Amino acid sequence: MEASGRYGRLLLTPIAVIYLVALVAPISFFLVMSVFRYSALDLWIPTVTGENFARLLGESYHRAIIARTLKIALLTSVGCLALGYPLAWYLARTTSAWRGVLMFLVIAPLMTGVIVRTYGWIVLLGSEGTVNSVLRGLGLIDRPLKILHTEAAVLIALVHILLPYMVFPLFAALAGQDPDLERAAHTLGAGRARTFLEVTLPLSRPGILMGSALVFTLTAGAVVTPALMGGKDVQMLGQTIYELTMSTLNWPLASAVAFLLVLCQLTILLVYFRVGRRRVA
Amino acid sequence: MAKTILELQGVVKRYGATLGVGPVDVDVREGEFLTLLGPSGCGKTTTLHIVAGLLSPDEGRVMLGARDITRLDPQHRDMGVVFQNYALFPHKTVLDNVAFGLRMRGTPRAEIGGRVRRMLDLVGLPGVEARLPGQLSGGQRQRVALARALVIEPTVLLLDEPLSNLDAVLRKRMRLDLRELQQRLGIATIFVTHDQDEAFEMSDRVVLLNGGRVEQVGTPEELYDDPATRFAAEFIGETNLIEGVVAATTGATIAVDTVAGGRYDAFAPGRSLRSGDPVYVMIRPERIDLVSERPSGAVALPATVVKRVFAGDIVTFELRTDHGLLLHCSKPSLAEYRALAPGAAVWAIVRDCRALPRDGAAGA
Repeated sequence: MEASGRYGRLLLTPIAVIYLVALVAPISFFLVMSVFRYSALDLWIPTVTGENFARLLGESYHRAIIARTLKIALLTSVGCLALGYPLAWYLARTTSAWRGVLMFLVIAPLMTGVIVRTYGWIVLLGSEGTVNSVLRGLGLIDRPLKILHTEAAVLIALVHILLPYMVFPLFAALAGQDPDLERAAHTLGAGRARTFLEVTLPLSRPGILMGSALVFTLTAGAVVTPALMGGKDVQMLGQTIYELTMSTLNWPLASAVAFLLVLCQLTILLVYFRVGRRRVA
Repeated sequence: MAKTILELQGVVKRYGATLGVGPVDVDVREGEFLTLLGPSGCGKTTTLHIVAGLLSPDEGRVMLGARDITRLDPQHRDMGVVFQNYALFPHKTVLDNVAFGLRMRGTPRAEIGGRVRRMLDLVGLPGVEARLPGQLSGGQRQRVALARALVIEPTVLLLDEPLSNLDAVLRKRMRLDLRELQQRLGIATIFVTHDQDEAFEMSDRVVLLNGGRVEQVGTPEELYDDPATRFAAEFIGETNLIEGVVAATTGATIAVDTVAGGRYDAFAPGRSLRSGDPVYVMIRPERIDLVSERPSGAVALPATVVKRVFAGDIVTFELRTDHGLLLHCSKPSLAEYRALAPGAAVWAIVRDCRALPRDGAAGA
């Protein structure tokens, strides 16, 4: 027993070191940085101040970014859930020989980079893009629609890119259900809709919460897709941090934004573990 | 004879190109305990699902009285089903599980609580309403599943191997409890099992299934005494099957010349067997008497004990007759039989032997 404990520690050492160096250290760094004073000359001055948070929460520019980020994260989660649930349900229930192929198609986007997929959407949604060309060719519009650089464009691309993160937890929750549960509900007098609402849906709750928590936190921290699809017009927290760190060089403010983002994400994860992990059986 | 309340007529179910079941003809009579018995993959659960409406047959009809319910959805069939793993809703309390069917039927709220409690009393499980299925033992879950199926007062109760997940002691007790409850309620029941003891102890009639087809239908006594086929003879109980050919018939008694030599007078009630038909002579092991002295009057075969196995309540023997036949024989665990060691010379008196058709010869 003692030996297994020692081996256990040995096996966990590399990952523990990586986490310590790559996660705990930088997070501690920006936690501290977020209460330092900004200086154009020295980057930061180590005196404790609340002015970064005051700016962040006080200025309407920053408040709008926070609100937009939360809104897009929420809508992306809802969108992924709406599109992902039927897909996950079908994958979990089908006996078709195509199931394996469909599973692969769901995973496939994860194997191409996020930039490749985002550029795909730019090609489709740009003012000279496929969608506008088709609509003009059909004579439905005279001037190209502005789709790119709108919240809608960011939302569409994020839903597409993050869909697998919703589908897999849902699939696991649905595929793990005993098919006799739905059969039992039918024999007791429940039709398809009642069976879904009374049995299938409540039992897939862990998958819904897990998928939503994943998509929400990934959206809230997204940088590349909002930057490429939304540009300056659809600023989100991820881009703000990037710009403050790399161009404006206001690290204390960037740290405060990052702190806020991590706080949001931790809250979501906490809610997930409190609500989602309540044992049902 | 009691009225038929449910009937499967020529029901066939295919899975792609492979046959699931069929054609199956089964009738269930009022208040009857009918068992679908067979090895795994014989189509017994498929047949049960067709009755419940969970599967749609490719051919044939399901009749509930005079009503054709072949295409009726399961939620409109009024059948209480107990599944092998009970299929209790894990997120609902025992009360909500049992009340589910009543709620779906729009039973008034005020009535539901009382009916659920009465049903839980009936299955011998009072006071567990507030628990979740995960907090119950296997036996308790089984009773809750039974209560959930019965509380809707179904026309037919369908049980899919409900005892297979219980330990041996509990299983034996539940057999008796289940049978007693079924008789008290007088509810027609279809019970699916692969366990012959279960089928025999509980059933009024047994439908023996093999490879998706009905092998034989009858009371447990009929199936044991007069199996219609080799499969039926070997699936149910222990048996000796001796290949032979019909030599002569006198009513239900036929003389059979065995391939190994020797003539047996076998009984074959209700079977039209003719001289020259290939048959098996079937002898149940407990229907062979063993004596050490040549008996007078009775027909006896001289034999030698090859093997003796002591199994507590019985002793089983392997005998080789002087004709060269190998016979299995079981006797009560008495001193006179336990004394028979391998090599002992005995006389085997066959008390009862039956003839059944062999290799697709005309039977029944």
